[in-house]
Amino acid sequence: MANVTRRQFLGAAAVAGAAVALDRAPAGAQAKELTFLTVASFVPDTDKELKRQFEEWGAKNKVKVRLDVIAHLQLQTKKAAEVQARSGHDLTALGPGLGDADLYFDYLADLNDVAGDVAPKNGGWLNPDDYLIRGKWKLLPWWQPPFPMAIRTDLLEKIGEKAPDTWEDVLRIGKKGKALGHPFGTALGHSGDANVTLLSILWSYGGSYVAKDGKTVAINSKETRAAMEFVKRLYTEAMDPEVIAWDDASNNRCLNAGKCIAIHNPISAFESAKKDKVVVPGSQTEIATVIDHVHTPKGPADRKATTGFWCVGVWNFSKNQELAKDFLRYHFQPENQSKWVEAGRGFNMPFLNNLTKHAVYKSDRQYRFIPEVAKVTVPPSWPGPTTAASQQVWDLYIIPDMFAQYATGKMTVDQAIAWGEKEMQEIYAGRRRKQ
Amino acid sequence: MSSRRRAWRGVFTLYMPVAPFVFFALFPLYFMAVTSLKKNAELYDTTTVPFWIGRGVTFGHYQLLSSDTLFWSWFLNSLLVSLGATVISVALGILAAYPLARLKFPGGDSFGVAIFITYLVPPSLLFLPLTTVVTKLGLADSLWSLIVTYPTFLVPFCTWLLMGYFRTVPKEIEECAMLDGCNRAQTLIRILLPVAVPGVICAALFAFTLSWNEFLYALVFVSPAELKTMTVGVYSELIRGDIYYWGGLMAGACIGSLPIVIAYVFFLDYYVSGLTAGAVK
Repeated sequence: MANVTRRQFLGAAAVAGAAVALDRAPAGAQAKELTFLTVASFVPDTDKELKRQFEEWGAKNKVKVRLDVIAHLQLQTKKAAEVQARSGHDLTALGPGLGDADLYFDYLADLNDVAGDVAPKNGGWLNPDDYLIRGKWKLLPWWQPPFPMAIRTDLLEKIGEKAPDTWEDVLRIGKKGKALGHPFGTALGHSGDANVTLLSILWSYGGSYVAKDGKTVAINSKETRAAMEFVKRLYTEAMDPEVIAWDDASNNRCLNAGKCIAIHNPISAFESAKKDKVVVPGSQTEIATVIDHVHTPKGPADRKATTGFWCVGVWNFSKNQELAKDFLRYHFQPENQSKWVEAGRGFNMPFLNNLTKHAVYKSDRQYRFIPEVAKVTVPPSWPGPTTAASQQVWDLYIIPDMFAQYATGKMTVDQAIAWGEKEMQEIYAGRRRKQ
Repeated sequence: MSSRRRAWRGVFTLYMPVAPFVFFALFPLYFMAVTSLKKNAELYDTTTVPFWIGRGVTFGHYQLLSSDTLFWSWFLNSLLVSLGATVISVALGILAAYPLARLKFPGGDSFGVAIFITYLVPPSLLFLPLTTVVTKLGLADSLWSLIVTYPTFLVPFCTWLLMGYFRTVPKEIEECAMLDGCNRAQTLIRILLPVAVPGVICAALFAFTLSWNEFLYALVFVSPAELKTMTVGVYSELIRGDIYYWGGLMAGACIGSLPIVIAYVFFLDYYVSGLTAGAVK
């Protein structure tokens, strides 16, 4: 074996180290690069159109651009790591929920100027007061997938029913459907869909989990009890127990597999059924032809819904904040927004008045209620403002757990509400940190 | 005993008892392969039998991976990162395990235990501080970030495994070599390592498998699509909101499992002897 002296070893190590270091050009010699982290849309064309606009803007401004796309479930981890290192992308998708603006308040650049520039060109923001966090625009609300009710028209005909307009209609239809092996389906587990649907029901029965002041936990009310009694009946009489274990994809699968008579969901299930030419089991009928979308149901008190509020922000540790803001202004130009919504077939509805009236929503009968649903869509913290605490209530699935514990008989209604109230009080008092 | 009788006896005493274990081990692979070859319409149909293909085979999911994603770049990235991290980790593991197994020095036992405890720290705790380290080193968004960080969980494992194996090798053969003029390094390289090949291969196989399957660091440290590893790339591209591309996901999983299967097929004997060597000391 050839002997290697200590001096030779150190010399070789130094050369290797230099090789690694020289692999990168000096900072001054590098062209400016703007990076953008976003989540994969269920309509791939949406991401393609965003990339096209980003590259077009980059070419015009002689800036190198890089769009990185990840699955939405990966975003929490990625955000946490970038904030920890104070390094990463310049622009980032935020959400689902406006609460990221409060959680990452100290790390997000102010976007007051961009929000002000964008609004007049697009007919104004839908509900601008909802998007201000601590009085500032720390993010721009970007897109929402409104939640109509997807129903099977052939099965409705079979059971002699019309499209549901109230949650009681959904229960009645679900009961009849379940008797035929076609239950209603909505997740009661840890998923975004469960948060959305159960909050919709809670509000529809007059309840809410936090008061308008955004501090007082208001879950312990007779309205909450009424909503929980309704969900228990929905679970036991109109659904299958599997909904406790459902994730966001499960209700899509249930509808497209021909099992569920109805689901509360954006149009993604329908679109994928159409794309894949899925047929009604035991027939040659394409299932997309017997699916219809109607308004989100109303309850005795109100008709309200929520959804994933997807947002976009600029990290304040970014070295390219002005470039990032410039791209946002470009992307939020009416013609670019229009192309982007068209590419997403309306799944990605912006929070801008003119875009809610986009032609795509008149292009297909299936989309006719989507602008209507958007009108009754509120942030998950409604009637309170969005805060880091409201984001934690969403992220920790307190509402689904509370409903499920009573619906499955694990707790009495009073025990479940007391449990939920305690969890929320701890979150709002700041005693419990995000897990 | 006639040969026919011996064969029947083998069926009852060997093949039948082993069959449930083989089924248990191979069923996920079979299910992945079957799902990856089904059309989407069949995947949704709950009236069909999920365990075989009822409405014709499609290679569309494999085509989707090849044409609509950067799958083969991700595959290559995974291979480079796994091989790089494995070589570094096994080399460092050997250098750490040898003194801990052979030399007596103050704190040696505590040091061995400390290495083991390091292995128990979960990556989900480490990824946040490691992100800062990777960024400060200027390695973010490069494959080097993974090649450098994977050894943080591979080296303790390799060290611990190799320590056990080295202790099964008789000390006397090294002492003979030293009497003949070898120094410590020569003894390690010329005498111990050739004898400890099964242990080294076992450690390398484990390190390769752990690197190949790693997800969290690969997600956090690398963002550009063309630099993603397979685990992250497939997940990012084929889970879109509430739509899962099951066929594509299963096709990716099938191809992704091949290198591991091939590696274990070639080195299975070494692997088994490497794992069990310490047990009969």
